[in-house]
Amino acid sequence: MLLKVVKISALVAISACTLNAGSFDTQAEKDRQALVKYMEAKFSNPEKNKSFFPYSTEDELKRVIKKGVKAADLAKGSYAYDSIGREQYDDINEMPPYEDAIDEGEVLYGKKFANGKTFKECFPKTDIAGDYPYFDNKKKEVVTLTQAINDCLVANGEKKWNIKKGNMAKLEAYFSHQSKEAGKKVAIKIDSKEAAQAYENGKKAYYTQRGYLKLSCATCHVQGTGKRVRKEYMSPLLGHTTHFPVFRLKWGNLGTLERRLEGCNKDEGENPHKGSSKWAKEVLYFMSYMSNGLGIDGPDIRK
Amino acid sequence: MKTFNKILCIAGLSTLGFTTVHADLLSDAAKLDVKQACDVKANGIEAVLATAAKYNAEAVKLGVEFKRLGVTNSNYIKTTTEAAKAKQKEVVLKYKKKGKVKTHKMATDYAAWRSCSFAIRALQQQVEAESTWKLAVPGDGFKY
Repeated sequence: MLLKVVKISALVAISACTLNAGSFDTQAEKDRQALVKYMEAKFSNPEKNKSFFPYSTEDELKRVIKKGVKAADLAKGSYAYDSIGREQYDDINEMPPYEDAIDEGEVLYGKKFANGKTFKECFPKTDIAGDYPYFDNKKKEVVTLTQAINDCLVANGEKKWNIKKGNMAKLEAYFSHQSKEAGKKVAIKIDSKEAAQAYENGKKAYYTQRGYLKLSCATCHVQGTGKRVRKEYMSPLLGHTTHFPVFRLKWGNLGTLERRLEGCNKDEGENPHKGSSKWAKEVLYFMSYMSNGLGIDGPDIRK
Repeated sequence: MKTFNKILCIAGLSTLGFTTVHADLLSDAAKLDVKQACDVKANGIEAVLATAAKYNAEAVKLGVEFKRLGVTNSNYIKTTTEAAKAKQKEVVLKYKKKGKVKTHKMATDYAAWRSCSFAIRALQQQVEAESTWKLAVPGDGFKY
């Protein structure tokens, strides 16, 4: 009898835990699906849905903006719908300027620290780009890949790297490449109340108007997706984190997602939050969750 | 035990005090008319810069300080205050871009107006955002 009670109690406890774990991402999943629906509606037929592109000419909507773009295509960013930009992108990708960085990243991965250990101790697997950022339930904070790499360096008595470019971008390029080759997808988890709160903070920050220009990230990358700013079509939130680090023609070198986020934050007219700040990490957590299920496509090039 | 209770009490009151000051400054800023509060002719440049310094300190704490063309509002306030003290008619704002020092020049009165309006608007936007941010979320307030 006692055994029966214990068994039933255990079963109830496990079921409760499972249900609870599943429920932490309910809102995030609703948000993601709503975003997918919005993006697919926007690009289903731009010529017909002119209200989404109020400043585009008819010719532009006919010749340049592709129709029938699906969520999975947006892993390529704006090149999923900007047909002219896509041609240039494909041309540059015939001899990608980031290839050497992948090789250098592989060397860094295997290079011994002063204590004789390597990054392999911290990252036994290399196809991990889609698993970051994650919420560390012990530390009660979001951990980005950039942070995990620097934590590994410090734990092994080494100095931290610049989080924007250089070695950091090269090692991340190697991880991203390995993930792409392995067919990995973005797989961000929200498995606790605190993780759900971090997601909500990131979401609120993303949609909040800021800076002297009173722009939110969403102004350009949700409502503004596909709208033209001078010669460029703005990229979508959906798929934003899939292709980093990127070789930006403007930078002339490879840079991390943190570098780009700081740049965007500055462009809004705000004194930018540091890429390693709680604010930035929570925004990246939200952004990455939005791309859940999309294929890793980095490193890549962007203008 | 008594000491422990005292420490706990002081810590509690300090937190409460800090939170109240935080909320007070935000609600103060929300009520202000920027054009009036930052009018240099009507209020005098010292008062306008004092207003700028008061509200910008809060904007910095909240992580919403404005920055325009490489110049933070803190930099605007500091440089303009120095120029006003020295009775200079023009402010030379220095900032770094790609490792090089660059400059912007503008009238001191105008720089004071800008630093004041930037400081207040940063906080006003923060208050407004509490009720507006969801309006941009697909599946929530954003309709298309």
